[in-house]
Amino acid sequence: MEAAPDIALVRLLLGFALLLIPLGLSLWLRLRIVTGMFVSVGRMTAQLFLVSILLIYLFEWDNPWINVGWVLLMVVFACGSAIMNSGLKFRHFFLPVFAAYLIGAGGVLIYFTGVIVNPDNLLTAQLLVVVGGMLLGNSLHSVIVGISHFFQALRKEKKRYHYLLALGAGQWEALYPFFRESLLAALRPFLANMATMGVVFLPGMMTGQILGGASPDTAIKYQIAIMLAIFTAVAASVSLSLFFTSRKGFDAYGVLKEELFRNDSRE
Amino acid sequence: MSMLELKDINLHFGSQPLLKDLSVKVPSGGRLLIEGESGTGKSTILRLILGLVRPDSGTVCIEGEVLNHRNVWAMRRKMAYVSQDMQLGRGRVEAFIREIFSFKQNQDLSYSREKAVELLEHFGLPESTLEADLENLSGGELQRVAIIITLLLQRKIYLLDEITSALDQNLKSLMVEHFTGLEHATLVVVSHDPLWHEQGFQTIKLSR
Repeated sequence: MEAAPDIALVRLLLGFALLLIPLGLSLWLRLRIVTGMFVSVGRMTAQLFLVSILLIYLFEWDNPWINVGWVLLMVVFACGSAIMNSGLKFRHFFLPVFAAYLIGAGGVLIYFTGVIVNPDNLLTAQLLVVVGGMLLGNSLHSVIVGISHFFQALRKEKKRYHYLLALGAGQWEALYPFFRESLLAALRPFLANMATMGVVFLPGMMTGQILGGASPDTAIKYQIAIMLAIFTAVAASVSLSLFFTSRKGFDAYGVLKEELFRNDSRE
Repeated sequence: MSMLELKDINLHFGSQPLLKDLSVKVPSGGRLLIEGESGTGKSTILRLILGLVRPDSGTVCIEGEVLNHRNVWAMRRKMAYVSQDMQLGRGRVEAFIREIFSFKQNQDLSYSREKAVELLEHFGLPESTLEADLENLSGGELQRVAIIITLLLQRKIYLLDEITSALDQNLKSLMVEHFTGLEHATLVVVSHDPLWHEQGFQTIKLSR
């Protein structure tokens, strides 16, 4: 199968013309999203162009050390984003979430490239950087949901947690229901997403590969493998994040430390 | 030796003093009633005893031992706590009770469904409550379920925070009668209700 034709820059600009519709709607319905829309579209365009330039060099150099370094950098950004979006303080959570992401998503990435795809060199940019980005990007939202659900629920349902402690629960026993509910909150949307895949929508990786000239059966196999990998990475990263952060989040009496939350995060 | 002793407790809430030089001793099997207006720190005293709040100064002693981060987990094993605005959790009532009995600290206790049903019926709840979802129970039902759980745990110390607030007069009387009838239990009761006041408990009255 041939790769899809390139989009000329002039034609890409015509793509931006589509924005006239949401812009018109925003003005008509007074949605007040015009500034937000321009900022987001501007950021998306600039970031993707910058990444494309970076990818060109990463592919050209294709140095294993640089590729691994790039993945580590992506993990750092993913952790930062997960913590900032969870209403929690960076300094308390960065290391545990970084370690959780590195073990959870990093371990799955190595398994995906090394065992499932099994190339001669698993540290190539084509696999490590592209699949790593896909894995981290797709698991990020779920990790944010898992961590913020856990700590915000403990804060909101403090009486429930204290009641369990008062009934003789150990630290883990009192945290277990919150842990279970947070993990479910992180995984449920993903399960629903997987259940409708291919019927309600065609997933990004598969679409990209087909546009890039791969045959649909190769694209489907990659898509299935990446979905399994993302799901496992989410489960592992969220579990490990909660496990690592819960060790630092409580005092010796088992009481949740209030200083974990940013001031702008409300109870 | 007292079952429970608070020695020179001082506690601030923000910059406001909440408890000032509070000292009280409750013997084994003793009964303490804590009264006072809202916001005077009545419920906080129960949380201090549970180690969920720590005093700025002073000590909490249980059976002669000063409560600290090492023994707090075992000390909680001696207590049962019910408060007026409980958040018990989710799931079926009986599954929740079984989970509590499965805690490491509670493993020497065994859950008896017969005893649970007996207590449910005693407090005006049907056996089917055990199959109900915790989230579907009314405030009064939830409060009674929480009280029944504390009774099933057969602790030495009962910390009862406005436990009769969501109950009608008959149930209030039944509840007060039941707890005062527990011969060897040490009771620490926070309540505005005159029913408790009439029992002649040792009383401390907090004020701002």
